[in-house]
Amino acid sequence: MSAVPGLKEDCEELLGAFQQADTVRFERFAELWRERRFHTVFYGRIRALERNKITKKTLELAQQYFLPPYSFQIRVGALYLLYGLYNAQLCQPKQKIRIALKDWPEIQKFQQDLLDSQHYDAAYIFRRLKLARAFYFTAMPKLLTYRTKKKIEENYFKEEFKDPSNRVNSLITNDVLEELLNIHDHYQKMKCVISADKSQPDKALSLIKDDFVVNLKDITLEHQQWQQNRMKLFRNAKETDETENKKKEGTLLESEGSERANALARIKYRSYSAVVEASKSRRHRQVQLESSEAGSSCGKSPSRSEKSSRRPQPARRRVSSEVRGEMQVAKETVTRHIGMPVITEENSDE
Amino acid sequence: SIDVLMSSEKEEDPDVIPEDSSLLTLRIRKKDLERREETIIVDRACRQETLTYEMESHAAGKRPDNPTDLIEEGELLLTLNVFYPVIFQKHKDHKPYQTVLVLGSQKLTELRDSISCVSDLQIGGEFSSQPDQAPEHISKDLYKSAFFYFEGIFYNDKRYPECRDLSRTIIEWSESHDRGYENLQAVKMEDYVFNDLSLKIGFPYLYCHQGNCEHIVIITDIRLIHHDDCLDRNLYPLLIKKHWLCTRKCFVCKMYTARWVTNRDSLAPQDPCFFCDVCFRMLHYDAEGNKLGEFLAYPYVDPGIFN
Repeated sequence: MSAVPGLKEDCEELLGAFQQADTVRFERFAELWRERRFHTVFYGRIRALERNKITKKTLELAQQYFLPPYSFQIRVGALYLLYGLYNAQLCQPKQKIRIALKDWPEIQKFQQDLLDSQHYDAAYIFRRLKLARAFYFTAMPKLLTYRTKKKIEENYFKEEFKDPSNRVNSLITNDVLEELLNIHDHYQKMKCVISADKSQPDKALSLIKDDFVVNLKDITLEHQQWQQNRMKLFRNAKETDETENKKKEGTLLESEGSERANALARIKYRSYSAVVEASKSRRHRQVQLESSEAGSSCGKSPSRSEKSSRRPQPARRRVSSEVRGEMQVAKETVTRHIGMPVITEENSDE
Repeated sequence: SIDVLMSSEKEEDPDVIPEDSSLLTLRIRKKDLERREETIIVDRACRQETLTYEMESHAAGKRPDNPTDLIEEGELLLTLNVFYPVIFQKHKDHKPYQTVLVLGSQKLTELRDSISCVSDLQIGGEFSSQPDQAPEHISKDLYKSAFFYFEGIFYNDKRYPECRDLSRTIIEWSESHDRGYENLQAVKMEDYVFNDLSLKIGFPYLYCHQGNCEHIVIITDIRLIHHDDCLDRNLYPLLIKKHWLCTRKCFVCKMYTARWVTNRDSLAPQDPCFFCDVCFRMLHYDAEGNKLGEFLAYPYVDPGIFN
């Protein structure tokens, strides 16, 4: 289904303004709505068939913001948006909001959260929608269509609306840490028991770092802090001017990315500087150092250079996990590069 | 009071896009409208659009006269796309289909009866010598077998004694060598309702009738029945979308839909050639009903006959 042109931008703009307002009160949302006169989004001479289709697509778009992984505030904003769009639509009988079965438990949880945090206006709005029979309970969230698409549209989530992705946190939760601590203590006790001196383990048995659990906790906290800082910087950067915006973002992200990139470049330079001289029979095809800068798109010539341009990426991801030291990363990249000197046919991009 | 906050306070005409809109959607739409006003002389819904809209919405909100026919809450509504078997080149990007709404508690046989396919109406046989005796039996009556194929199980129509098990050939073929299809079963269609089946949404299934007329069936949506839907059980399976096929007109008068097709006709300018009933008789038979010229004539049913 092709999207309604301009609708995504309008919705995101409204939700963005709501997020800026930093509140979940309906009055605030209603003000923003009235400012933009959002109810006119269905205006324009549209005939019945087309109007049905457009309304369906509009509700579907707004519904996406109602579900995770968007942050709580955005989801409340999406609820208000759905309420507004449902009531402002001009179709008779009204088009409904499709919610898939798999999403209902999350929505129930969301409603419970609203009640617990005493956002009674949002809960009331949700109840109103349910009473007005505004929902279709479907198996799949999107109605399928069968026209061959010219290009597959990728559904991308707007970065700022998302909660910062807690992958590290979801892996190293409090429970996991506690359990690790317990196991660690148990292990230490076992070592004490079987060694000669009952008060502390044998020197020969010390195979792990003693404070490994504490270190892990510190590192995860650091990561979380870093992520929050990054989100804040990102958001602050958006507030300033448009052009300045792009530059700032670019430099901020680049400064973090470029540190890593520089580190990688240094490592690779060291490993690459010893290049094998081609034998006399292949004198015309001397091996040349191809400088593949991490992050730049090298590789206009086919497969060989593509492989080299792909290699910095996985290395970079490993660095970003920040759990291992840099030396280990260096070792890994070096072992992968040995034995594959790149033969460039011509000077592509030096 | 919450509603008032949303809607406009003063009287507004929904057809007019406000001048100073801050919404990107409206700006784009306005440009589009202006372009349409410049280029299109008469901006009105064409026949096809009216038909499509009517089909989609004609049953919405209907209630039955007889309260026992009312659909209860908790009933499932499936949306199926049944594709036409025609293969025209112009259809290669989007194959034409009809969309049928079916209740979860309906039997498969009810769906089978509601699928209208032109191959059901074909009349076999050559009738140049006896045009008045084109038999009344259409293929639908002669060849009653059909099956659905969902998830590895063939559901055969066994309501009438003439119905044969068309799926037997396929099952025997798959069992003869180890072709990697396990467990193909054959059961009776009339024993099953849609609620009993386990289906995948978006996965192509098959409906085969007349021995070799195959339709792909895809389930696009399953949802609970809603207050605003049509709640009259008798109207289901409900057709809500049908592809409009242009009918072939008679070669002579170009007005009526073709009912006869001739081959190797010495009196016709092309082979094959289509005629409506009147023109056919006028051209090929004299006043006494004798056959003039050499030709082979077959009754023709146009795929667009369901328009």
